[in-house]
Amino acid sequence: MKKYLVFALVLFLTILTACVGGNPDEAESDNGTSEGNGEVQQGGNVSIPIIGDPIFNPWHPNAYAESNIVNRILFQGLTKPGLDNLPAPSLAEEWTDSEDGLTWTFELKEGVKWHDGEEFTAEDVAFTFNNIVLDEALGANGASNFNALEEVEVVDTYTVAFHLNNPFASLPAYLAFNAEILPEHQFADIEDPWNFTDFNKGTPVGTGPFELEDYTSGQQLTLSRFDDYHGGAANLDTVTFKILPDVNTQIAQALSGELDIFALEDKASLDRIEDADNINLVSSDITRYYWLAVDLEDPKFQDVEVRQAMMHAIDREAIIDSVIDGYATVANSAITPDQEQYYNEDVKTYDYNPDKALELLKEAGWEDTNGDGVLDKDGEDFTVTFDIALQGDLEQIAVLVQQYLIDVGFDVTLNTMEWNSMIQKNVIERDFEMMLNWWSYPTDPDVLSQYHSTHAGSGNNIPAYSSDQLDELLEEGQAISDPDERAVVYDEIQDYMAENLPYLYLWYPQELSIRNKRLQDVPDIYFGGSLHYINEWWIKE
Amino acid sequence: MLQFVIKRFGQSIVLILIVTIITFFLMNLAPGGPSSMMRLDATEEERQAIAEQLGLNDPVVVRYGNWLVNAFQGDLGLSLSSGEPVMDRIMERVPYTLQLAVWTILISVIVGIILGILSAKKRNKWQDHVINFGSVIGLSVPSFWLAIMFILLFSVQLGWLPSSGVGGASLMEQFTSSLMPVIILSTATLPTIVRFTRSSMLEVVSQNFIRTSRAKGLKERVVIYSHALRNALIPVISIIGVLIPRLLSGTVIVESVFGWPGIGRLIVEAAEGRDYNLVMGVTVIVTIVVIISNFIVDIIYSKVDPRVKNVG
Repeated sequence: MKKYLVFALVLFLTILTACVGGNPDEAESDNGTSEGNGEVQQGGNVSIPIIGDPIFNPWHPNAYAESNIVNRILFQGLTKPGLDNLPAPSLAEEWTDSEDGLTWTFELKEGVKWHDGEEFTAEDVAFTFNNIVLDEALGANGASNFNALEEVEVVDTYTVAFHLNNPFASLPAYLAFNAEILPEHQFADIEDPWNFTDFNKGTPVGTGPFELEDYTSGQQLTLSRFDDYHGGAANLDTVTFKILPDVNTQIAQALSGELDIFALEDKASLDRIEDADNINLVSSDITRYYWLAVDLEDPKFQDVEVRQAMMHAIDREAIIDSVIDGYATVANSAITPDQEQYYNEDVKTYDYNPDKALELLKEAGWEDTNGDGVLDKDGEDFTVTFDIALQGDLEQIAVLVQQYLIDVGFDVTLNTMEWNSMIQKNVIERDFEMMLNWWSYPTDPDVLSQYHSTHAGSGNNIPAYSSDQLDELLEEGQAISDPDERAVVYDEIQDYMAENLPYLYLWYPQELSIRNKRLQDVPDIYFGGSLHYINEWWIKE
Repeated sequence: MLQFVIKRFGQSIVLILIVTIITFFLMNLAPGGPSSMMRLDATEEERQAIAEQLGLNDPVVVRYGNWLVNAFQGDLGLSLSSGEPVMDRIMERVPYTLQLAVWTILISVIVGIILGILSAKKRNKWQDHVINFGSVIGLSVPSFWLAIMFILLFSVQLGWLPSSGVGGASLMEQFTSSLMPVIILSTATLPTIVRFTRSSMLEVVSQNFIRTSRAKGLKERVVIYSHALRNALIPVISIIGVLIPRLLSGTVIVESVFGWPGIGRLIVEAAEGRDYNLVMGVTVIVTIVVIISNFIVDIIYSKVDPRVKNVG
C-alpha cells in the first residue's frame, strides 16, 4: 500500500510537471528590434509588475524600487538619463555652472502643466529642495546625494540657481536619479509631508505623461494619459501596475501576455523565457557593481596582498556563468562600463589563480605551517565570518565565494540573515568581517561617498577605507565639470582602486528585461531608464 | 449561557493582551527597524531623523504602554511605512481574505464530509484508496509549488483562469479569479476533514447503538446518515476551530502567489518592513477573528452534542 502510494504520488507530480513543461507553440526566434515597425499606433494599455504598494512621493523614506518605477512616470526631474547615459533635459532645458563651480543655473521649460492644471514654475523646484530635501529632520530618501547643496534660489519664474558649498560636477546626473520635483501649491500648508496621505497614497499631482486614475492597495493601479503633457500626449491610453510580490507569478503572466515589460531579478527561469515567442529578452548595462567588503579596521585585512590574494582565489568568471548565466562583466573598480566616457579597462586585473594567491599570502606572512589546511600567521588561523543577506542571488554567490576561499586555506563560515538584520549588524553597527552586496548609483563616475575617509564609520564607505591619495583624487573629480578633464582623474581613480582594492570587486551585472514583442519604440536602455520615455512607447496590434 | 459568554469574553481579553505583549516585544527584539531606515545607502543622520519622526527613540516599555492606551480607545496608530491609519490598511484587506476563507471552509466541510463518509463506507476498497491518496497529495505537496503549477497549467497553457488579482465587478469574474486560490487553500484543510470524518465514522459505526439500529432492521441509509453521522460529526466540528488559524497562515503564501490583496500578505510585508504598528494591528484583528470563530465552533458543538454544555 505504502509503496504503491509513493509511486502514484511521484507519477502524479511528474505528469503535472510535464503538463506545464512544454510550450504550446513552437518556439521561434524573432529578434526583431522595436525600430522601423511602421506607423505609430495610438491607444492600448501596458502592464508592468511591481512587488508592493507604492508611495507617490519620490522623496519619501519608504519610496523603494516599486515606488521609483511609478514615480518616474507621474513626476519628472530637472534632468533625466539620456540615451547616451549622460543627463538629458527634462523639466530643465539647459544648465550652466559658474566659473568657481559653486553655482549651477537651470533654465526651466515654460508652459509645463501639473496634473491639476496649475503651471510649473521655479517655486516648485525651490520648494522641493529647500523644504523637503534640505530639511534634515525629514531624512528624505536620497537627501545625502545633495550634501553639497546649500540652497536653491528662484532667479525668475523659469530660472533657478543651485548654490553649493563645494563644487559638484555630478549635479545634473544626480538630478536625473529619483530626484523628481513636487508641486509647491499642494504641499504649501502641509506640516508633515510624509503623512500627507491624500497625496502620497491618494491623488498625486505630477508633471509626467500619465496621471493616476485608480489605485487599489495590494492589487493594482491604473495611470491614464495626461493630455496636457508638455512633451506631447503619450501614445498609450493607460499604464497598469500590477502588485505581484511573487516573481514566478510575474514570469507566468509575462508568458501569458498579461504583463508587458519589467526587469528580471531572478535568472532561474531564463530558459522558459528564451523559448517564449511573445517575448524579447533585452540585456542592458546598468550602473551597478557587486562587491565584497572586508573590515579594513581589522589588521588581517589591512595588507593589500591579502586582498589581492582573495581576488586571485575567487573564480569570478565561473560564478558569473553559473549563477547569472553569463550576464555580467568582471569588475576591477567602481566605475561601470556603461559610462563609456569614463570607464577604464586598462587597470590591474585579477585572473583566477590560486597559486598566485598563495604566493601573495606567503608574502603577507600567511602560510599553512601546521598542515591543518588553514592559513596561519603567528600561531593564529585565518578565520573569516562571512555575513550574507537573504536577498536575490546573494546567498548563491556567497556559497561559491566561500568555497573558493576555503580552497586556498581561509577558514570561512557563512552567516545568513534576513535583509533587515543584516543592515542592523553590518551597516548600522559596522559589525562584520566580510560581507557581500552591490552599489547602484546615478550614472556618473562620482563615487566619493562610497570611498572617502569622511564617509567611513557611519556613511557609505562600508569597509572603512582611508587613504589621503584617494580622498584627494575623488575631491578633484567632483570639482571638475569638463568631461575630458574629469576622465583623466577618473582614469587614475580606477587604477588606484584596482591596485589597492578598497572593496573586493566582483562584477558589473547586466540587467535583463522582458519585453512583449507588441511593444514598440522602447529605447534600448535599462528598464528603469526606458520609463522616462514612456510617452513615446506604442503598441503594435 | 450568558454566564458562559461573559466568562469567555473575559478570557478573550486576557488572551488578546498576552498576544499583544508577546508580539510587541518579539517584534522589537528582532534586529533592524522600519524599512525606511534600512536602506544600504542611508546615512546615520537620515536614520536618526526617521527614528525621531516615528517615535522610535523611546524605550520599548513606554512605546508598548502608549500603544496599549491608544488601542483601548480604538486607535491602532499610523502605519510606519505609508503614514495611513493602520485600521484603514487592515479593513481594505480583510474582505478579500474573508472571501477566500469562507469559500475554503465551506468547500472543505461539504466536500470533506462527503468524501470522509464515502471513504469510511468503502473502507479498504479502491474508493478509499483513491481518497486517501488524494489526501496525502493535498497535505504533502507544498502549496507554493502547486500554486505555480496551477497557474502555468490553467492560466498560461490553457488560458482558462486568470493568474492573479481579484477579478472585476461581475460575479463570474470574481468566481474564476478566486477559484485557484480557494482550491490551493483547500488542499491544506480538506484532507484533514476527510480523515477526521473517516476515522470518526469508523469509530461510531463500530459502537453498540449502531449495531442495535441495524439489528432493528433500519435501512443502511438511515443508520449511516441519521444515527452514525450526527455522532461522527462532533469531533469534525471541533477540528474546524483548529483549521481556521491554519487557514489564515495558509493565506500568507497563497495571497502572495496569486497577487491577492488580503491580510496574509499584509502581515508579511509589515513584518519584513518592521512596520510595528501594522504588525500589532493585524495581530489584534487576527486574534479576535480566531477567538470569535472558535467561540462559534464551541456554540455549534454544544448544540450538536447535548452532552457538551458550556464548554469553556
